[in-house]
Amino acid sequence: MAMQSLLLRSAVALASVGTLGLALAAGPAPAATTATHPLGGKATAAAKAPAPAGQPREITWEQLVPKDWDPMKAYKDVDFSKLDDADPKAAELLLKMQQVSDNAPANPEMNGMLVKIPGFVVPLEENKGEITEFLLVPYFGACIHTPPPPANQILHVRPEKGAKFRSMDTVWVTGRLQTTRNESMMGVSGYSMVAQAVTKYTGGAK
Amino acid sequence: MSALFSIAWRSAWNRRFTLALTVLSIALSTFLLLGVERIRSQLRDNFSSSVSGTDLIVGARTGSTQLLLYSVFRIGSATNNIAWKSVQALEANPGVDWVVPLSLGDSHRGFSVLATTQAYFTRFRYGNRQALALREGKPFAELFDAVVGAEVADRLGYHVGQKITLAHGSGELNVAEHTDKPFTIVGVLARTGTPVDRTVHIGLAAMEAIHLDWFSGAPMPGVHIPAEQVRKFDLTPKNVTAALVGLKNRAAVFRVQRWVSTYTDEALMAILPGVALDELWNVIGVGENALLAMSGLVALVSLAGLVSVVMAGLNERRRELSVLRAVGASLRHVLALLAIEGGLVTLIGVLFGSVLAVLGIAVLSPWLQAQFGLALTLGLPTPNEWLLLASLLAAGFVASLLPGLRAYRLSLADGLSPRI
Amino acid sequence: MTAVLAAESLRFTWPGADAPCIDIDRLEVQAGEAVFLHGPSGCGKSTLLSLLAGVLVANSGRVMLLGHDWATLSGAARDRTRVAHVGYIFQQFNLLPYLSVIDNVLLPCRFSGRRRDQASRHGTPRAQAEQLLAQMGLDAALWQRPAMKLSVGQQQRVAAARALIGQPELVIADEPTSALDEDRREAFLDVLLSACRTHRSALVFVSHDQRIASRFSRHVLLPAINRAARTGDSAGSARAPAP
Repeated sequence: MAMQSLLLRSAVALASVGTLGLALAAGPAPAATTATHPLGGKATAAAKAPAPAGQPREITWEQLVPKDWDPMKAYKDVDFSKLDDADPKAAELLLKMQQVSDNAPANPEMNGMLVKIPGFVVPLEENKGEITEFLLVPYFGACIHTPPPPANQILHVRPEKGAKFRSMDTVWVTGRLQTTRNESMMGVSGYSMVAQAVTKYTGGAK
Repeated sequence: MSALFSIAWRSAWNRRFTLALTVLSIALSTFLLLGVERIRSQLRDNFSSSVSGTDLIVGARTGSTQLLLYSVFRIGSATNNIAWKSVQALEANPGVDWVVPLSLGDSHRGFSVLATTQAYFTRFRYGNRQALALREGKPFAELFDAVVGAEVADRLGYHVGQKITLAHGSGELNVAEHTDKPFTIVGVLARTGTPVDRTVHIGLAAMEAIHLDWFSGAPMPGVHIPAEQVRKFDLTPKNVTAALVGLKNRAAVFRVQRWVSTYTDEALMAILPGVALDELWNVIGVGENALLAMSGLVALVSLAGLVSVVMAGLNERRRELSVLRAVGASLRHVLALLAIEGGLVTLIGVLFGSVLAVLGIAVLSPWLQAQFGLALTLGLPTPNEWLLLASLLAAGFVASLLPGLRAYRLSLADGLSPRI
Repeated sequence: MTAVLAAESLRFTWPGADAPCIDIDRLEVQAGEAVFLHGPSGCGKSTLLSLLAGVLVANSGRVMLLGHDWATLSGAARDRTRVAHVGYIFQQFNLLPYLSVIDNVLLPCRFSGRRRDQASRHGTPRAQAEQLLAQMGLDAALWQRPAMKLSVGQQQRVAAARALIGQPELVIADEPTSALDEDRREAFLDVLLSACRTHRSALVFVSHDQRIASRFSRHVLLPAINRAARTGDSAGSARAPAP
């Protein structure tokens, strides 16, 4: 992907979350991930099927978003490709979109569900070579270039046993999802989990 | 089989002077490999245990590794400071739970001086969310109070009540000293195994106070504000070096980070300590791997030495081999004998090297702790270290198959009457 | 009664040589026999010994040790059979210098279960080793000493004791007295021959020294039975090629 404006990238990121079929430009090689192409891909019929009792259900990042959430509702008639980052109107729009992203709600249906989801590791606490607390994000470099993921696309994970991984390693995380409602920042909510297992992601299949 | 072991051992012992150098070189390469591996794994642990429970570190917009290094490890220095106003804005951010500002720059007899707030003693964590503890005294409260780390106290023999002077800038040679404003040690921290041990802690106001009559690194000529009078001045700092930040919701880290980097009043950056540490390790990791590879090469050279020594001696041992053949050793026994001999020599070398490594760590540990803050512990070998030792032994055994094969062919050709 | 050794139509050519160096119609050694095998240098004595002991395998014909045809056995099987039934004495350097005298004598028992069992028949192998050493005239004080500390004559006697432990059916001695002076030579022959008689071991004694021939009941002149040696052909020389 060529260096598009931050505004356009934010719009794309926001638009792709939760809205099926609005997959924009193909972009880089299949292995790379972006906001439009999170790890694990889009929800398929197979992924939506319930898992056998007691078994973790494999889910995609899309399923963490409530189905009725449409962040781009207010901006349907804005042509993002025409706006420049330096334009003050663009800056204002960007700010608004960032707020929407920050306040992206959690999907209440997912609360308490035993799931298995792939993602990238952002370490928070490390002890003796093992990560004891981390954030799971859907795409590579979520903390560096592209706008940060919306609040419902970040998973706060506390593994039961320390996990030997590094920043931006790809892993499968298995555990029971908890939706959280935090008082700060205008009622931001997100997901947290005590992970039963954190294993290396080997692309595609389990 | 036990017959072969005992014969191999006696035969090798008979040639012990020739083999001694080989044993020594294997021992040295074992020592090197174990030492490098131990330092490697413990270095990373040391670094990662230096900060815990901190969500972001905020500083001037430099590089993430640089910010991590000077704010946590007191290595290097900041190119720019951050304004006090920015710290206040940070505190006001609804997502932020606490802010601990840090000011670095001065030193005391080679140890860094850190100016900070009282929140440091409650908010700063290390290791596995462990809080700081005082082994003597209490945190600073008065203007010219100081709290020193365990290494400072041990090395310089300080206790509560001791008076010390700080020097401007870092470095052993204290040319520019704040001699007119001495500090009193009111507390000594328990050992943490982190750079905290090597630090002298004072209040932010005190840092301002000692620099009131200084300008650009030197006392202003003709201006002198004595210690008693400084309290009359406003001692709020104008700027600080960096700030540790704790959030109300850890998952909100990205948006606070983004807020910091888009802060319009000043060029700031915020790093996630865990991520920055991994980035640092990507760089160091290259060096570590290079060191490990080199040690591996050294080991290879030692084993090659073993093989060549045994090979060279084979000619003289043809009689020995034909005697063995005459008393019933098959060609396979001959091969096995040489392999076992090589394996035994390697084993002795590896054992000797391991002992050297243990001794080395025991002897160097205090020095490494004092100089670099690196806490090297003894204790059982890690899985990686066991793997290294096992690989060395296996490699020695396999390498000895070469002279074994040669002995096999010599015996085969010699029959029972060697040509010598 | 099966002969201890029986060679028929035995032919052997060194690899790379033009002509065979061993060509023998028939050679037999019975149990308890003491054979004096002699001939000038280069007539194939050492090669024949290697063939008889199964170290070398004949190109054609048969060599049978106690009914086992060497050619039918694998290398490892030949080694096992050899140590189980044959004691070997070289001209010199018979012993492992770093082992004690008694450990040297016990070596065949460590490589062959059968030798060990045979040696244990009237006690432990160690007991038989001590008995043999005493029989060879070696004082008990010498038994623990490293073999390299002994004189040549003493070493040869230790070698003889080692060849005899466990009562092998055949003892092959390849010029064992050539490095000894006259007194020691006679003494050595005394103990060797009497020990072989006691244990009913056949003895094939190779030497170029005619002076000791009289001690043996049977003489075999190698060039007389070895057609290849008779031609005096240097192409069939008994020297082994380089490894």
